[in-house]
Amino acid sequence: MKLFQTAIAAALLGATALAAPAHADVKIGLIGGVTGPIAAMAPPMIASAQLAIDQVNANGGVLDGQKLIGVVGDSACNPQNGTDAATKAVNIEGVVAIVGPHCSGAVLAVANSVTVPAGIAIITPSGTSPEITSLDDKDTVFRTVPSDDYQGRALARTLLDRGTKKVAVAYLNNDYGKGLAEAFKSEFEAKGGEIAGYAAHEGEKASYRSNLAELASGGADTLVILDYGDGSGLTLLRQALENGFFENFVGADGMKSDATFKELGAENLTTFVASSPVGEKSEALEMFNKAFSEAGGDPSAIFVTTSYDAAFLMALAVEKAGGDKTKVAAAMREISSGSGETILPGEWAKAKELIAAGKAIDYKGAAGDHNFDEKGDVPGAYALFKVGANGFEMIGEMK
Amino acid sequence: MEWIGFANYAVFMAIFICIYALLSLGLNIQWGFTGLFNAGIAGFFAVGAYTSAVLTSPAADGRLGGFDLPFWVGWIGAMVAAALIAWPIGKICLRFRSDYLAIATIGVAEIIRLVIKSEDWLTNSARGITDIPRPLGDLSYTMSQLAYLGIVMAILLVAYLMVERQIASPWGRMMRAIRDNEDAARAMGKDVPYRRLEAFIFGSALMGLGGALFAHFNRSITPEAIDPMVATFLVWIMLILGGSGNNRGAILGVAVVWIIWSLSEIVTDQFPHEYAVKAKYLRIFLIGLMLQLVLRFRPEGLLPEASGERKPVGKPSD
Repeated sequence: MKLFQTAIAAALLGATALAAPAHADVKIGLIGGVTGPIAAMAPPMIASAQLAIDQVNANGGVLDGQKLIGVVGDSACNPQNGTDAATKAVNIEGVVAIVGPHCSGAVLAVANSVTVPAGIAIITPSGTSPEITSLDDKDTVFRTVPSDDYQGRALARTLLDRGTKKVAVAYLNNDYGKGLAEAFKSEFEAKGGEIAGYAAHEGEKASYRSNLAELASGGADTLVILDYGDGSGLTLLRQALENGFFENFVGADGMKSDATFKELGAENLTTFVASSPVGEKSEALEMFNKAFSEAGGDPSAIFVTTSYDAAFLMALAVEKAGGDKTKVAAAMREISSGSGETILPGEWAKAKELIAAGKAIDYKGAAGDHNFDEKGDVPGAYALFKVGANGFEMIGEMK
Repeated sequence: MEWIGFANYAVFMAIFICIYALLSLGLNIQWGFTGLFNAGIAGFFAVGAYTSAVLTSPAADGRLGGFDLPFWVGWIGAMVAAALIAWPIGKICLRFRSDYLAIATIGVAEIIRLVIKSEDWLTNSARGITDIPRPLGDLSYTMSQLAYLGIVMAILLVAYLMVERQIASPWGRMMRAIRDNEDAARAMGKDVPYRRLEAFIFGSALMGLGGALFAHFNRSITPEAIDPMVATFLVWIMLILGGSGNNRGAILGVAVVWIIWSLSEIVTDQFPHEYAVKAKYLRIFLIGLMLQLVLRFRPEGLLPEASGERKPVGKPSD
């Protein structure tokens, strides 16, 4: 019993240490699935968001030279921990805005029970569920990753244009895989394609051979894998190659992971293509890649570009709103509206001057231009990539 | 205005504690008083959450419902549905003894989770259900949370009093007799399988209610919320730590685990940001360590079960 009293006392002490927040700093929450099912993906995502914050601080900070501080919270990819982390960030840490959470279920719960009632803007770098679009969010929920709906449809049209008429689809049974698969299927069939196999699979299994055999029995020679390339998607791809179930492989942004050719060898992946969102200005992506590599990160990790953009956009919005948390959501629309002086990743000093002068700015990020529609979604521009000698190479834009 | 922030956070924690306390009370009926090792709490939690979601959310395409009924219909429906699901499961599985029952219930919970995650027409599969109304949810942030806390506290109080009364009654003594010595209870003419089924259904209904309260609080329910880690094993830790067989212990365990779990993040946030990500794992370690210490030094829990009324024997009472 003593031990618990001590433990509680220690925890309370920690809480009271924070009771008087330093007013010199401006805090934003970085809420992600640090523990839990996406534990492998979350650290690079948080690191890239942190890079944006470091760049802001290195180039004059926010407002009157105050430091921007990212408070990391753990959503563990579930609503229970997500709402807990968000409640703490909003009420105890006093953040002006939140970047995250990472998983759609946590985004829905956090928005509904914490941030929308409290009037705090959130921007998720990886919550891809179409349900987020229809949230009654009073215009406070944004995302830098396109809804799966857009990408699934674009991928279907591109495949048909390339002459692929018959495919089998294997998708991961979560909101990401499911959303992509449904959009892909409806567009592909509407435009005259044939789906010869369509099945969900659970993640992190040792073998998918029976799933693959079933999908291959439909007679298609192209397999569309809507999964993560550093998780079960890789297993699926490896086993399909080993057993010769399919000849051609197509993936979406989740599959555009360096793990694919690092593990399987580029020479084995000549028939593998993957789609991914790209910015119109590709120099934005190069600037991010350079900065993130220098900071010790891996720019090709999944969702790092969207995380970086989310954090940088949030910093711009905070600056534009003058640090007033009730105005951040409205400011978010102004800083990336598609008109005004272009701001590229890392150009904080320039952006700060322009905002101070009252000029319009337009952020063009590493993962796209991020011109939000009325629901706070981004349409996203996509390109198709193949595996070349030096990693993924772009082979064409997608419409 | 700092105190408002602390108040909001405290109210939020209290709501969560009340919701998890219902799960813990349900488990206490099954494990603490009857000795049924139910490792499928998440399944009943999910059935309750989704039943109430379907009943009370506005009509939506592509899934069952929503029927747009008042929230209390959803909550009653959640209890009924969880009880109805528990009945056949109990009928089949309760013939197993402890460890086999645990395996069977884990399996059942996993089946429920995968059905919910896969069946579009029923639960909108992986995307979950949104637009679930929260009672008095139109008030401001602070007031709405306070109002919800009032509702869940009232429900918890009623549930607690009902369980206490039930356990103090002859029924409760019979259940403990079955738990402690099944053969003796059977020799006394007790219908052991039927009584165990009663306890299983009663506990499961409370878990279903907990699930419904959770879904309405978040105004949404997704399959991520019914992960066994946060909906089954966490509840077990709470009950064991608090003291199984004691309802106050069950509630205290929830409060202690949740408060330490939640506040520990504030402590780990004090680390510089290079360690912020790693420090999150410290919290999980802390909960595990706590359980180990309790099991080692106080296996009966913080508030152990009362050792039963040992009134002096002498005069034959009525």
